Amino acid sequence: MNHVNISNWYNSLINEFKSKSLSIEKVSRRSEYWRKSNLDIISDFVDDTSQIDLNSINGTCLYEPNLTVHGDILELADEKSYEGLSILDVIADEDSFAKGYFGRLEKKSQRLVPRPLARENTLSPKVGYVFNFSDNLKKPLVIHNKTSPSASSCFQRNLIVLKENVEATIIETGNNLSVFNNVTEIYLGKNAKLNYLDLTGEDNLFPKISHKFCDMAEYSSFNHFGLRLNTKATRTEIELHLNGRGISTSIANVCLLNKENHISDENVLINHNAHECKSRQVFKSVLDNDCTSIVRGKIYVEPVAQKTDGYQSSRSLLLNENSKFLCKPELEIYADDVICSHGSTSGSLDQESLFYLLSRGVHKNKAKEMLISAFISEALDEIEDGSIKSALSNYIDIWISSFFNE
Amino acid sequence: MLKIDDLKVSLEEEEKQIIKGLSLSINPGEVHAIMGPNGSGKSTLSSVLAGKDGYIVDSGAVKFDGNDLLEAEVEERAALGVFMAFQYPIEIPGVGNMNFLRTALNSQRKTRGQEELNAADFLKLVRGIAKELEISDEMMKRPVNVGASGGEKKRNEILQMCLLEPRFVILDETDSGLDVDAMKLVSRGVNNFSSSSRSFLVITHYQRLLNYIVPDFVHIMVDGKIVKTGDKSLALHVEDTGYKDFLQLGKEKH
Repeated sequence: MNHVNISNWYNSLINEFKSKSLSIEKVSRRSEYWRKSNLDIISDFVDDTSQIDLNSINGTCLYEPNLTVHGDILELADEKSYEGLSILDVIADEDSFAKGYFGRLEKKSQRLVPRPLARENTLSPKVGYVFNFSDNLKKPLVIHNKTSPSASSCFQRNLIVLKENVEATIIETGNNLSVFNNVTEIYLGKNAKLNYLDLTGEDNLFPKISHKFCDMAEYSSFNHFGLRLNTKATRTEIELHLNGRGISTSIANVCLLNKENHISDENVLINHNAHECKSRQVFKSVLDNDCTSIVRGKIYVEPVAQKTDGYQSSRSLLLNENSKFLCKPELEIYADDVICSHGSTSGSLDQESLFYLLSRGVHKNKAKEMLISAFISEALDEIEDGSIKSALSNYIDIWISSFFNE
Repeated sequence: MLKIDDLKVSLEEEEKQIIKGLSLSINPGEVHAIMGPNGSGKSTLSSVLAGKDGYIVDSGAVKFDGNDLLEAEVEERAALGVFMAFQYPIEIPGVGNMNFLRTALNSQRKTRGQEELNAADFLKLVRGIAKELEISDEMMKRPVNVGASGGEKKRNEILQMCLLEPRFVILDETDSGLDVDAMKLVSRGVNNFSSSSRSFLVITHYQRLLNYIVPDFVHIMVDGKIVKTGDKSLALHVEDTGYKDFLQLGKEKH
């Protein structure tokens, strides 16, 4: 951080946080939240780009980006429509509005789960953006991350604030050419709504660790959709604080892995701190070639959070014998008038359905594609915006067809 | 058109022979009915003809227009013109009915080297058939068979048949779970579809369906073999006396 100017408030924050910092090596392998994770992938990742044709990597970009985070440079395509700031400017600014927000949710997130990578990010952000929305976004804001191949790792730190009644959709895509560690702190005002899509494709040859921490005021809504298409190694940590009545939230994830030993690791913690809130979690993983998908989803219900409606479903299709789906749904409930449910299944393609399609003349690969596409559709249905959903669904269908035609 | 010659079939999972030397010849334009008591092997026969997994053909042959049907993949049989209406049509959540129908039709056309049907022509075609079978638009928009009643599922099978235009149709206990009105509707669909170049194999427990779909031949199947062949009056005889007369014939043939 020597080359960066820092404000007094950020300086005192790092002094406080540093004393409680925790390294990834010291995370107990017995910790519930790290037990199944392959920590070696993250800590000892061999930084070898010699085998990779960097020109062949295009990024999973469905949309023209408004903001490109190129290495450590922010490029805003249309500066007029969004008020975007660089995180480095913000932590240097004594009077920044961000001082009331920065680091607060990361600190809170350490209470139940050790999150050493998020802490490391707080102490040394290299790049990132700050958005403070006070008006509705008419179009989705598309952020394209292109981490630099020269850096061994990239710490990206973002802050998103939505004022009361503001609605926004953010789509994050990108291709990582180094280990990517992202922390995004999100604050939603009363009745605000954020749809966030994190689309990560097969050009992510390096581990990607994403943290999303979100504080929600009454009647606000946060919908997160994650896509993992043949990503080598990803770990996602999402923690939400439902702090006022009438909040609704949906966390959905589609994970399709068929390259040897690829791994996806999803961790969600939803804190119901107020009454009459609703949360949904839908995870769908399709795994081949000894790939692993880990899902840990927890619903925590405080005594005051009566009339909570919590739902969690995690299902996998295992297309070869050594693929693994490691799922741990958790409910911790201290209120007595709630509806909370979870379900988890793992299985192969349904042979009866396959036979039915074949018997009508559908070709075998096409029939499998249709069944896989049908399997993940429940998660895609969580996306509210019809045009985004259909663009994404077409994109995934084309990807699935190449999956069988290789 | 279809020639089954001394077919013997066992279950894959247990060493048990279900079909024990069955021969049957079906010519273009003919309607054949197979009747028989529970466990006589009727459904196994339809499954083997359609190409379902789980069966071992011990011996015998099945030729369809000179092609070795047993060697063909399931989807190839469909493209050759073989269609089985399922006794229990499968529900497939997440696969839209229209998408399924269009993919099936165009897959078959592709296999046969024909041009694929465009969206507009397909819609026109499928809507016409749906109207005739009194299948609602709402039903067509649903995922395949999801939330459909027994009657709706069977009508959907007949719709698929009319759309795919097979030359040989197996109706596997299509009457099961149907009320009289639904049975009339389904039968009308089948009768409108029949022609001098198409053949049907109707598998049923009861004579009732054969009042509506009138067979040229009725075969009684007992213990994996056809023990008696006659015309439609044979079905009426079964309705009166049950299968007991034929059970003995099954034993004698061993």
